[in-house]
Amino acid sequence: MRHRLLILLTILAMVAAACGDDSGTETTEAGDQPATTAADTPDATEPDTTEGGGDVIDIDFWVAFSDEARLGFSEEKAAAFNAKHPEYNVEVTSFASYNDAFDAAVLAVDSGEPPEIIHFFEAATRQALDAVDGSGNPIFKSVTEAIAGRTEILGEPVVLDDVVDAARNYYTVDGSFYSMPWNTSTTVMFNNMDILNAAGITEPPATWGEVEAACEAIAALPDGPSACITWPNHSWFVEQSLGQQGELLGNNDNGRSDRATEVYLTSDGMLNYIEWWKGLNDSGYYSYTGLQRDWDGTSNAYLAGEVAMLVYSSSDTTFFDTNASFTNQASFMPYNEDVDYVGNLIGGATLWMLDGMDAAQEDGALAFLNFFSNPDNAAEWHQITGYIPITKTAEAQLVTEGWYEESPNSKVASDQLAAADNTPASLGALLGNFVGIRDIITGAIEDILVNDVDVTERLTQANEEANRSLSEYEQLFGG
Amino acid sequence: MLIIGLVVAAVLGLVYVRFFIERQTPVRYAASSVAAVAGASVTPIAMGRCGFAPETTGVDHLLAYGLMAGGATLAVVALRTFFDRRDGVSNDSEAFAGEIRSGGYRMGWWVPWVLLAPTLAILVVFLYTPAIQTFTLSARLTRLGAPRSVDVCFGNFTELLVAEPWRLVAYPLLAIGLVYGARFWRVRTSIGSWSRRGADVASIVAAFSVFIALYAMFSPGGGGNVDFRSVYVTTVIISLGIVVVGMSLGLAVAYLAYRSLRGGSVYRTLLIWPYAISPAVAGVLFFMIFDPTAGIFTHGMESWFGIDVPNYRESTFLAQSAIILASSWKILGYNILFYLAGFQSVSLDQVEAAVIDGASPWQRFLKVVWPGLSPITFFLLVTNLTYAFFEIYATIDFMTRGAPAGDTSVAIYEIIRVGVNNGDLGRGAAQSVLLFIAVIGVTLWQFRTSGRRVTYGGA
Repeated sequence: MRHRLLILLTILAMVAAACGDDSGTETTEAGDQPATTAADTPDATEPDTTEGGGDVIDIDFWVAFSDEARLGFSEEKAAAFNAKHPEYNVEVTSFASYNDAFDAAVLAVDSGEPPEIIHFFEAATRQALDAVDGSGNPIFKSVTEAIAGRTEILGEPVVLDDVVDAARNYYTVDGSFYSMPWNTSTTVMFNNMDILNAAGITEPPATWGEVEAACEAIAALPDGPSACITWPNHSWFVEQSLGQQGELLGNNDNGRSDRATEVYLTSDGMLNYIEWWKGLNDSGYYSYTGLQRDWDGTSNAYLAGEVAMLVYSSSDTTFFDTNASFTNQASFMPYNEDVDYVGNLIGGATLWMLDGMDAAQEDGALAFLNFFSNPDNAAEWHQITGYIPITKTAEAQLVTEGWYEESPNSKVASDQLAAADNTPASLGALLGNFVGIRDIITGAIEDILVNDVDVTERLTQANEEANRSLSEYEQLFGG
Repeated sequence: MLIIGLVVAAVLGLVYVRFFIERQTPVRYAASSVAAVAGASVTPIAMGRCGFAPETTGVDHLLAYGLMAGGATLAVVALRTFFDRRDGVSNDSEAFAGEIRSGGYRMGWWVPWVLLAPTLAILVVFLYTPAIQTFTLSARLTRLGAPRSVDVCFGNFTELLVAEPWRLVAYPLLAIGLVYGARFWRVRTSIGSWSRRGADVASIVAAFSVFIALYAMFSPGGGGNVDFRSVYVTTVIISLGIVVVGMSLGLAVAYLAYRSLRGGSVYRTLLIWPYAISPAVAGVLFFMIFDPTAGIFTHGMESWFGIDVPNYRESTFLAQSAIILASSWKILGYNILFYLAGFQSVSLDQVEAAVIDGASPWQRFLKVVWPGLSPITFFLLVTNLTYAFFEIYATIDFMTRGAPAGDTSVAIYEIIRVGVNNGDLGRGAAQSVLLFIAVIGVTLWQFRTSGRRVTYGGA
């Protein structure tokens, strides 16, 4: 008995130790261990050796999505491209986050096996432009430069010139359109019209004042939800509000006329927004999930009817339309009626192309990028998600098909972006170490919401931290 | 400044020979003094004397002196080993080495090295090199993919510490003084006397003073510095919580499961399962239990009892408790496993003898079983603490992401947040060096104090 128990314990200890090791890699290196997805791997090896006699050129495409819908779309389009162009093989690799994919790419550049195309988000545009390899050469190449005025590459029409203004202007740095936009969205508000109607409100609130009035009415409902409104504590919403109020987040025109060397976290627009947010929270109207960057928790609260309004990314419009068990209506992000509305900005990610490929490979990568966002694909991508149709042709095609009559919520994001005036404030900031600065902002907001600290004082502190972080970044990367 | 340090090292080298080396000859005095100076100059040379550069502060000098002292100590101790060998003063490890020599390796001195080579290669590649890189990174301001990096000397460390150098000297000296004072008092008292009780209280106070001294040494934040005190407090609370809750629950459950039950072996197997779950999954599970929107517990309390459970992530106490609960649940199976094994090593004869002497079950547990378990308890203390220090990142990331406002952001969470997520490699490295020192400190302390009270059976 004693022996048997001991043996059992030993085996269990070994199993447990093995599992314990797994968890270690999971927590620290999840991103560094790319999970090559199934769709393309079989083709990856076969054509290489057997088909056609000629060499198949591999193009690695790193995608920072891991969910079925969005990763599935990438894989499907890669497979379609490979079928159309058998001399190329685009292979999709999935990563858990933008940062994971980017860090892995920087390391892969140094180890000599970099991906040809990498998916990276808007806030890190400065970081991507600044990234260099071990010998100091930029990692990425401007797609405009690589296309060099061609209108067709390997038979794929170039769609770069057709990209909608909001995205084109955001990603144009020093006059060059560097990366190929893919998933692009903006913040919209989703409204549970059943609750709003019950409270006697027929139209979604458009301004801060209207939100407060609506919340007051909803709070008076006998069987109303426990809170009125929520949105993730994510710096993107702060940046959107600054854009609406025409405030800059960084100097040098939000980092667009020259590198930003200063951030402004104590501007009037900033204080207005955070004070308003805190006010909603203090009166019990705003529901904080208690987690920073909590997309899931806020979206669940909205779908469960625990809040009547959700400020969110338009990227999930189709998801809410499909899954809401109530009348879901999208509207513009509420703005501050005390100042003139200037404009909302985009969010999302673009596809960056590696520098230093040979001509054949580069053409393949460019052809794929243009194929990936051709009107049919861009329209389909919009329909399955809610990211805006990235080209004007795709948008026109959707209008002709009658998609917007069928799904009016899907038009809100494009309309909101079209209303922006394209000044530096509404274009959004390009900052070094933007990811770190965003975390400083959300950390301060959490402190303000949960611990009831003074807004101005806490933002002043955050401002110091953020400016130090930026100046350190400029020390390392600046000219 | 640097010269003063080197002169002090030379003098201490002489003093060392006077008090710690058997035979004192002029050559030895000279050798020791030179060794001390050489050891002390290694780090200033390697770091380009940056610790004494014009714009440095007292804290920088202190850290530089600390490293010099470390280098000097290593050098003179190495020299002493050399002298001892020459003098034929043998110690345990010497005797052990002799035993090995007399045994198998008659084929040449290189044979053991060849046999060790694979292990050494792995250690060098995967352990020592990254460790050394961590130390070099900790003195730089750098980011992944950056075209250049900046030498910041001790900057990454000084911003984690209080600004006044005297505090960094006085507090640890005070705490060490209290600890040794209490110990000194304790050995001079007899068991059961009032002064022994007083000394026991003093020992506890002294132990607390160590925690307080460390607290007072870390930076309170502000003025461009990191608020590292709150990270320290959070780490202490959560680590101690996990160790205390995890081990006492583990012991209690193991005690119940060890008794002869029908199907006992099935129970025992099932109890160990949580350990096979990764910390990330533990985080998700407890998130799904307590989450205010999606949580099972929250939902049940609300619909059955009408109790509105507060959002655990908005209260420091609840958030820390939730992390402790989830983490100690995850390690519970491991603790049960080892305590179950431990119960088997408790002498049944002694238990029977205690029964015959009329000891109550509680007395039997306290006087016979618990001391018999001390090796296991000691082992678990080390492994649980290591777990609490290093492995709960994923649990925290799923349950709170450090909320509310950093109150569940323990050292390892902070290191990954700063170093990996924000890409600030230098600061991340500096914090992990601190955690490394903390683990060494805790381990040394555990071996010194618990080692004495651990019974391994036998005489």
